[in-house]
This record gives sequence, structure tokens and C-alpha cells, in this order.
Amino acid sequence: MKSGSRLERILEAGHFAVTAEIGPPMSGNPAKVLEKAQLLKGTADAFNITDNQTAVVRMSSVAAAALVLGEGLEPIMQMTCRDRNRLAIQADVLGGSALGLKNCLCITGDHQTSGAAGRLKGHPGAKNVYDVDSIQLVSILRGMRDDALQQGGDPLEEPTPLYIGAAWTPLGDPIEIRPIRLKKKVDAGADFIQTQGVYDVDGFREQMAIIADMGLHERTHILAGIIVPKSLGMLRYMNSSVAGVTVPDRLIQRMAEAKKSAGDDKKEASRRQLAEGIKMSVELIEQVQEIPGVRGVHVQAIESEHLVPEILEKAGLLPRPEMSKKEG
Amino acid sequence: MIVAERKPLAEIRSFVEDYRRILILGCGTCTTVSLCGGEAEVKIVASGLRISFLHEGRDSEILEDCITRQCEPEFVEVARQKVKDESIEAIVSLGCGVGVNLLAQLLETVPVFPGVNTKFFGAVVEPGMWLEMCAGCGDCILQLTGGICPIARCSKSLLNGPCGGTRDGKCEIGEDVDCAWALIIERMKSLGTLDRLSEMLPARDWSTSRHGGPRRLVHTEVANVNVQETEGEAQ
Amino acid sequence: MGTNPMPRVESTVHAPCAAACAVHTDTRQLVEFIANGRYEDALELLLEANPFSSVCGRICHHPCEQSCRRAKVDAPVGLRRLKRFVMETMADSRHLRRERNIPQQDKARVAIIGSGPSGMTAAHDLARLGYKPVVFERHATPGGLLGQALPRYRLPYSVVKEDIDDIIALGVEVRTGIEIGIDIKLDDLLKDGFSAVLIATGLSESRTLGIPGIDSRGVQLALPFLLAAHSSRPVENGKRMVVIGGGNVAVDVARTARRLGAEKVTMVCLESRDEIPAWPWEIEETEEEGIVLMPSWGPKSVFSENGAIKGIELKKCLSVFDSEGRFRPQFDESEVATVAAEGLVIAVGQSGDLTCLEDAAVELVGEGRIQWDRETLATSREGVFACGEVVSGPGSAVEAVLSGHRAARAISHLLETGNLLEQPPEELPHIGDLPDDVASKVTLLSPIGVSVLAPEERVKGFEEIETGYSEADALREARRCLACTTGALVDEEKCAACLTCVRICPFGVATVERTAAMPQDECQACGLCAAQCPAAAIALTRFSTRQMKDQLREVVPLVKSQSRATPVIVSYCCLFEVTGRDFLRSAESTGPGRGIVPISIPCVARLSTADLLSPFEVGADGLVIIACREDSCLYPTAEDRLLYRIRQAKGVLGEIGMEEERIDYWKTNGSAEVSWGAFWALSQKKLGEILNRKGE
Repeated sequence: MKSGSRLERILEAGHFAVTAEIGPPMSGNPAKVLEKAQLLKGTADAFNITDNQTAVVRMSSVAAAALVLGEGLEPIMQMTCRDRNRLAIQADVLGGSALGLKNCLCITGDHQTSGAAGRLKGHPGAKNVYDVDSIQLVSILRGMRDDALQQGGDPLEEPTPLYIGAAWTPLGDPIEIRPIRLKKKVDAGADFIQTQGVYDVDGFREQMAIIADMGLHERTHILAGIIVPKSLGMLRYMNSSVAGVTVPDRLIQRMAEAKKSAGDDKKEASRRQLAEGIKMSVELIEQVQEIPGVRGVHVQAIESEHLVPEILEKAGLLPRPEMSKKEG
Repeated sequence: MIVAERKPLAEIRSFVEDYRRILILGCGTCTTVSLCGGEAEVKIVASGLRISFLHEGRDSEILEDCITRQCEPEFVEVARQKVKDESIEAIVSLGCGVGVNLLAQLLETVPVFPGVNTKFFGAVVEPGMWLEMCAGCGDCILQLTGGICPIARCSKSLLNGPCGGTRDGKCEIGEDVDCAWALIIERMKSLGTLDRLSEMLPARDWSTSRHGGPRRLVHTEVANVNVQETEGEAQ
Repeated sequence: MGTNPMPRVESTVHAPCAAACAVHTDTRQLVEFIANGRYEDALELLLEANPFSSVCGRICHHPCEQSCRRAKVDAPVGLRRLKRFVMETMADSRHLRRERNIPQQDKARVAIIGSGPSGMTAAHDLARLGYKPVVFERHATPGGLLGQALPRYRLPYSVVKEDIDDIIALGVEVRTGIEIGIDIKLDDLLKDGFSAVLIATGLSESRTLGIPGIDSRGVQLALPFLLAAHSSRPVENGKRMVVIGGGNVAVDVARTARRLGAEKVTMVCLESRDEIPAWPWEIEETEEEGIVLMPSWGPKSVFSENGAIKGIELKKCLSVFDSEGRFRPQFDESEVATVAAEGLVIAVGQSGDLTCLEDAAVELVGEGRIQWDRETLATSREGVFACGEVVSGPGSAVEAVLSGHRAARAISHLLETGNLLEQPPEELPHIGDLPDDVASKVTLLSPIGVSVLAPEERVKGFEEIETGYSEADALREARRCLACTTGALVDEEKCAACLTCVRICPFGVATVERTAAMPQDECQACGLCAAQCPAAAIALTRFSTRQMKDQLREVVPLVKSQSRATPVIVSYCCLFEVTGRDFLRSAESTGPGRGIVPISIPCVARLSTADLLSPFEVGADGLVIIACREDSCLYPTAEDRLLYRIRQAKGVLGEIGMEEERIDYWKTNGSAEVSWGAFWALSQKKLGEILNRKGE
């Protein structure tokens, strides 16, 4: 066991893993975090705690993850490369580890001009760091874990148990680089991978076949990303404006029909679209489960965490397997 | 080429309002080529200031000149002579920041104000348009990326890009910004060296760039330095 | 370094038109003067080079036009007609000019035999140098064959008189009715105190043919025929006339015969159509007038009845010159033709009349030609020179003028130094051909025509065939000039090789190696590069705005102080839309009183952004730019470039808190005369409102 985290044990035991997300609040108030944790307890094997997602300041991932851990859920802390240099990253990882955090997802981080895709002011004038990138970060964490070494070469007093994750955008362009980049992350030491949201299952399947050919699916655990669509607008937006996400026409059609079927009743239209979205999410989960090499799903219901239990229930993924703390 | 852009006249005016004898000094190299600081622009800035002062009944004299390069002491000497002969009280430099710095250093008692905003090192991609292409990082790795600089041209300066934000070859920060990594991949594909990108580029030593402090370069064959004394000194 | 603008540099090579002219009249500069309304300067330029400018403005065979580089684009510039325009328009000026600059004549006396263009030109030059030339002319009126024999429909005598009178006004004495060799011997001239003698008697004898029947009645020689026609003496002219000969004199005879009433005139010559020596345009006009050309025929014999000519028999001519270019016509005696005629004029060439050399110790050579050195112009006898057709063979009027200039130099050199002066022929280096790819980019402008009498009208009398240009037409034609050799020059020290000029040159002429260069053969002198060069390293040799700024600095404050209430507007206007210089002069003199300071510029697109701002620097309240009419700008892309610079200038005004509307841009409507006044009024009104709002 590299870290002994639940996620690790679930995956090592061969179960189909489920991860979900808890977004920290835009305040220092722990109550919101605890509320969400309570809502989602038992629905997933581990929970990503986002780190200034879309370059918007929120309670830090490490702090919120520690709070979540306190509620008995397993967090995955997130480290972006945008806001911290390699010293701060290593220090925060050590701190997180001291607080009991074991899973860490290494990502590059949206550029600070993002500001929640323009919906919030954000801090576009901030100096960004990007001292290291996500792949180098994976490598750093592996060094801290397996060699008890800091990136600069100095020793750590003891190895840091970590389960290291990275992101993968299988359908991002240029598409030819994506398998290669995945390989670099795996070579660097990524234990698990969470992909960008999948709607184009056929496309995803194709890419999975390619990386399976490279043997990557056996060296790391790939969890397919499932983003719960709540409306036609959201699906369209993701298709046109979110990098690496393609939504097939038939899904857009379905959502459009769901909206139309409610006629002029806006409230009903909302409800029907949401219902359709839930239905789609379940289908997607079922479809990706069939793909060889997919070892789990990472469900994202942005600002709608309450939908997650329903979806997982319908997908037949609840209850989650019981794992004793020492198993594996 | 160092690419710069003229500051708005109102701003330049605010620097020199209180002086009576002002010299607008152009630079015959980079800012001439980036169309913001050559002799032609000197005339325009001088003209604008004169018209502005005329309308307020201010009695200031604006002189014009242009030296070959503002980053060379020998050329700056020409300006210094003019400053002395014409009793110049203030200078607006249309040279890049380097020029302003050197002028200020060598002219000591005369205030030197920047007339342009120095932007970046760039190349012309079509007439009238420059793109940033080099970050002056001090340790060039273009041999690894097909000649396209990820440090200058990737918004995140990633060495193992692209990130997940790239879309149709454009950077997540905007449609008019190319994804440098998309360009790198394209280039290395056509060079037949794409497979080199499967090797992780390790975390970089940024000390050769500005992060390591202001840099200096010495060519000992030319420098007026006693070689024996400085043997072994880092360059 | 520094912001001192480049001095105006004279080119070391010349425009091909100036090089082609025998006397190297700077026709390029002439056209520039005309286009700028500087007719007085144009007059000076012409008369300095050629005292017979009025004559040449009518009859010169214009080698300048034949070498005009514009021909490759559409058609050559009408240089001869522009010359005529200046001479006609400036006639009064010329008469006034006669009263000025009368030279002090205190040097030796020089005798000149013959008052044709070569002799009179020599007299003109010698008088200006202080000598006392006396011209001896055997006829009653001066001018030589130009005045006596050239048909009036080509050259009215009044035109010749203009030129002659100028020369006489200098203090040249012309004694008519005196034939040297008969009335006075050449030796006597030298004994009577003339320090030198110049023989300039031209070719005044018509050659004849030794064919059977040549002495029939009704057979005449060319020169007597023309002299009689010219002086309105009775002329023998039959209903049907035949003219033997293919040169310009033969053409003059044929066309004169037609005008005198011949119903059918036939011109017979040995040369084939391609070889005909007469000017091609003359041949064209000749045939238009119904004259029949019979090339490649030679005279065989004249047949007559009762001693009067009935017609001529011709034989086919197979070739005229042999392989070495010598005159050796070959005939096919078996191929004959007959032309019936009541009159025959022989115009097969002229020879010199050497009567003046009677009893003079001047050597002859060959078949009775004066022994003469081409370069010193000296004969075998010291102090006796010769010039013109009598020694150099048939030539044009302008070539005669050249020989007159050379003779004057030769004579004055001898009289100053006692030595002969070697004057080898002078070739002016000139720029090369216009490359095809540049020519194809030049805006087409059809040549301006003049009214020409219809052939039916022409043959009714001796009226001049064509009119001259009106002022508007002359100005329009002058603008077609490509201004060869006045293009862009680069100061290599300042050039930063930024490639701006390469990118904006509409003709693809500018190139950069280490620094920019615009090959003179190609540059169209549009000025777009100079206006845009960020290093201010390019100047045009013919246009600089420095003078303009100095002028503004003087004029504007003056105007401002005189018209306190009226806003003062400087108006840059495109010179090319003015149809008469009076308008410009009137605008320049009356404008300032109304607050308008007009400055005319040949193409406003050459104004840089700094030029657009300088009026405001010197206190003007507003700026108006008036460009040419829609679609009439000479230079591709020029208008867009200018509009960019206007935006830039407006931007500068905006940056310092002044109203951008102080700059107005108009396009001429119709013509300057028609539209500019209205534009100025509109702009002034608008500016007035802006200033009122401001509370100024």
C-alpha cells in the first residue's frame, strides 16, 4: 500500500470506484463544508476538495479536506500549480499529510484570467506561479513518498504516504498528444487518473483503446469523469466553450426535447431538463463502466451536490463496498 | 526586436509640464522599427506637446533629436552634449526601458521620462503586428520544443503542456492567443520528433531568468577588465 | 543624426527626355514647373536652353516624347504641346523680359552669315557673352528656311518672329537683303573689323533629277515652290500634282500643293513605306488629306506634250540602300507605272549654297563641301567657323539650335584664348527603361488631346492644323509626367531597415538589403514611403515639406493677428485638381483675409502625420485637407495611407484634449474652382461652432 487510503484500497481490491466533488465555500465558515459532507457521506469512495477552482478564491483545499476528513469521509486534496511554488506545494502536502490527508490530485490550474469563466471578477491581475507543471508535480510527490526526498534534493525526515492522482483530457486537442501526456503522468508516478467530463462515449472508448495499447490502463487507475448536465444551456455551453468536452448531438437533442415538452411552463421545463440530466448521467455511468480499463467514475454535480446520491443510486453504485481500515 | 508602444500624450505631458526646455529623444533602432520611437514619432510627440502647451499659453520649448541607439554610452554622449549646449531641463525618451535607464544613469542631473511602454521581445507576423516570442529566460530550451518557446508563448509557461484548457489550438485565456503547445506539437510532428515529448521535462531552474535577480553579461575579450584579477569570476 | 531634413539633392542621371533633346532642355523640370503653375520659371527654362522655343513648340520632332518612359504605361507626355502652351501663355511675359537683362556688348564683333536657327542661336549666345554679332541675311526677312519655306499651316511666321525678335532685342543686328560673296566678300568682313565669321547658310538649294523630260514646263523644284507659296506669290499648281521625294520637305510640298487647289496629289518615293524618312505623324496627316503615297517607286522619265508636262513614268524600286547603308537604289526597269499630272515638284533633297565663299580662302573637300572639323567647328581658315546644316547635313530645328550654341562657344573660346576648343559630342547619362512590372501598376491616364482641324477643312487653306492646350488641359497633361529621377532617396545612416517602405510601396519598388533603396529606374516619386518612414530617413528629391513649415510659421501668426475674430484654417489642397493657376493665386491672396491659408501640394498623400500637426503648432485653429476627386488619385493605396495619418493626427489632438473635428477631410467635387470655396466655408462654420462651444 502506498498510502492506505480508502480509494487506494477500493481500487486495489478491484472494485469500481466512485469519487465525487465537494467545492469549498467562499468563506472561512466550516459549517457549509460540514453540511455538504453530511449530505454526501457514504455515496462515494473519496471526495475531491477543489483548490481555488476556476481561479476563484475559496477556502483552501487542505483545510476543507481536513474538515471533511473529520466527518468521516475520505478527501482527495487538490494541488494546482498556479498559486504556489514548489516550496509551498511540498509544505502544504506535508501539512495535509500531517492532518491525515492521503489522496492528492495534481493539476495545472486554470489561468487567473478565468474568474469562473467570466462570471466573477476573480483576480486577473495576480502574478501566477506555475513554477512547476502538473506532471512535474506528480513526480515531486512521488519523490516525497517513495524516496523521502524534497524536489531540491534535501531529505524528508520520513516518507510521506500519498496516493497520487492526475487529470486527463482524453478528447482535448491536439488529440494526438493526450495519450502521450497521460503516459508522462503515469511514468511520473500517477496512481489514479480522473478524466474531464465524458459525453462522447464512443470517442472516449477510442482513446481508451489507444492508451490500453500502451499498457497505461494497467499501470494506473482511470476514473471517467461524469458531469451532471442540468439544462440544455449547460450542455450547449460545455460543448462550445469548455476545452476537451464534446457533447454528441443526440444528447443535446434529448435535452432540447425535454425542455420543449414543458411548453411555456418555465418551472416545469427546468424540472424536466434536470430529470433528463440525471437520466443521462446514469446512462453515461453505465456506458463507461463497460469500457475496458475504466476503473471508476468521478461524478461532478457543480453546486448541486445533492443530486449525487440519486444518480449513484440509480446507477446501482450504492451502497459503496465496506472496507476495513486495514484491508488490502 | 524589442517591441514598445507610445504612451498617451496626456501622460507624457503630465511628466514634463513644469519644465521649460524639454528634449524629445528618439531611438534609431528597436523603437523605430516598432513604429513608436523613431525620428518620425519624435516629430509627432514634439508637435503634440507644442500644440498642447500653445493652447494653454505655456512658454515651453520642445527640442527634437534622435540617436542611433539609446543603449550605448557613445551614442548617449551625443545626447549629453545636446543637453548641455541647449540647457535641456528634462528629456522624454522614446527609446525602450533600457534606453531610459541608461540615459538616466549617464545624464545624472537631468530627469529622463519614459515616452513609451516597453512590451516584449517579438517578431513581425504580418506588417504592423508583433507577437511575443521570447521571455529572455537565460537558458534557451528551444531545441526541445521545435523552436517554439513555451515559456514566452504558453500563458502558464508550462514545460510539459498542453494543459486541459486548450481548445482548437487556442489558449484558454482568449481566442486570439494561440496555444503554444499546439504549435509545438504541430511543429514537432512535421519535424518527425513528436515522440520526444513523451519524456518529461523536469522542473526548471528559473534562476537564469529575472527570477534570479537582474542579470549581467561580460565578454572578457572586449571588456575593460583586468583579466588576472577576475579569473574564475562567474560571468 | 539629428532631425535636420535632407537637403534637396540633384540627381546625377537625367530623365531620358532631357537626354534625348539635342539641347538637353530639362523637360522633366519644365513639366514640374507647369504642373505647379510656375509658368515664368518654365519660360526661363525653355529660353535658356533654346532661343527658338516658340518655333520648336510647333514643329520640333520631339525626340523627348519618343524617349518618354510614360509610353510604356499608356502614351508619352505631350511635351511639345506643353512647350507651346508655355510660349503662348507667357507671350506678354516674354515681351517684358526683352526689356530686362540686355547684355553689355563691349567685346569683339562677329559676322554671322545666315539668319536661320543655327546662326541666330549663335548670335543670341554671343550677344549674351558681350560680343557684337551682326547677322547677314540675303532674304528680306530673317529666319532662314524656317521663316521662308516652312508651310504656314505648320509654322506661322508670327511664331518665328517671336523667337527672332527676342534675339534682336538682345542687341543682335540683322542686316537683310545682303548676300555675302556677292554684296560683300567674306575677306572684307574680316578686314572690316569682324574678329570671326560664322557660316550658317544652311541647305538652301534644291537638288534636281537627271531624268528625261525634267526640263518640261510645270516641273519645279521644292524650295522655290515652297518659298513662293509661303510668300503668297503666284504658284504654279496643276489640278493633278506629283511630288517626287519621301522626306519632310516632300511632304510639305505635297500638302501645300493640296491646299493650293490640286485635286489629286501623289507623292512618289524610292523608300518603302517602312523606310519613308518623313516623320510618321506627318505621313499620317498627309494621307488624311487625301494625298496618295506611292512608296518604292522611282522616277523614270517625264512625258510632255508641247513642252508641258502630262505625266511621269515610274519604275519599281527594289531597294534604296546597300548592305553598307550607302545610297544605291536598285530598280526593276520592267515594272513601270504612269501617273498623269499637270505639275511635278522635285523634292529629293537640298544642298548648300556656297556663294558666300566666293573668292574666300576657305578649303572645300569632296563634292564641294566645306572642310570642317566636327569638334572645333573650324574651317581651314583661322577665324572662320561653320555650323548648321551647311556642314552637318540635313537636320532638325533643334539640332540647328545645338550647333548654334556650340558655334558660339567655339568662337568665344577662340576670341578669349586664341585657341580652338574641342567639343566632343555630349551624351547625358539617363535612367533606364521603366520595368514592365512597375509600368503595369501605374494608373492609366489618357493623353489630353487638342482640337485638330478635320482633313476636309485643313486643305481649304493654310490655317494652323492644331490648337494649343488650354490651361486646364496643359495642367492635366503635365500631371501625367512620371517625374523620372526625382524619386526617393534614403539616408543610409538613419535607415533602420524596418521594412515599412517595402511593405507600403504601391509599385513594389522599395527593397532592403542592409538599408533601404528605391532604384531610380523604378521609383514613381509618390512619396508614400517618405511620409511613413519611422526614421524620417527618406526624402523625395522634388518635394520637401520643410519650406512649407517655415512658410506656415511666418504666415499663420500674421493671419491670426489680422483676423482676430475669424478662426484660422490651414488648408492643404491637392494641386492636381486645379484647372488654372489664377484660382490658386487668388485663393492664396484673398484667403488669408478670410482666415484660410491654402497650401497646394502635388498629391496630399505625401503629407506625414507631423505635417498634419504643424499648422496647429504655429497657431492655426483648424486644418482642412482637400484631396483629389473620387477615383482620381494618381497613386494606388495613397488615399488609405493618408486617411490613416489623418486618424493618427486626430488621435494626437484627442490625446491632448483638443477636438478631433478641427481636422476636416474633403474630396474635390468637379474641380478646385467649383468645390473648394464651399468646403472652406463649411469647415470654417463648423470650426466656428466648436470654438464658440469652447468659449474661445
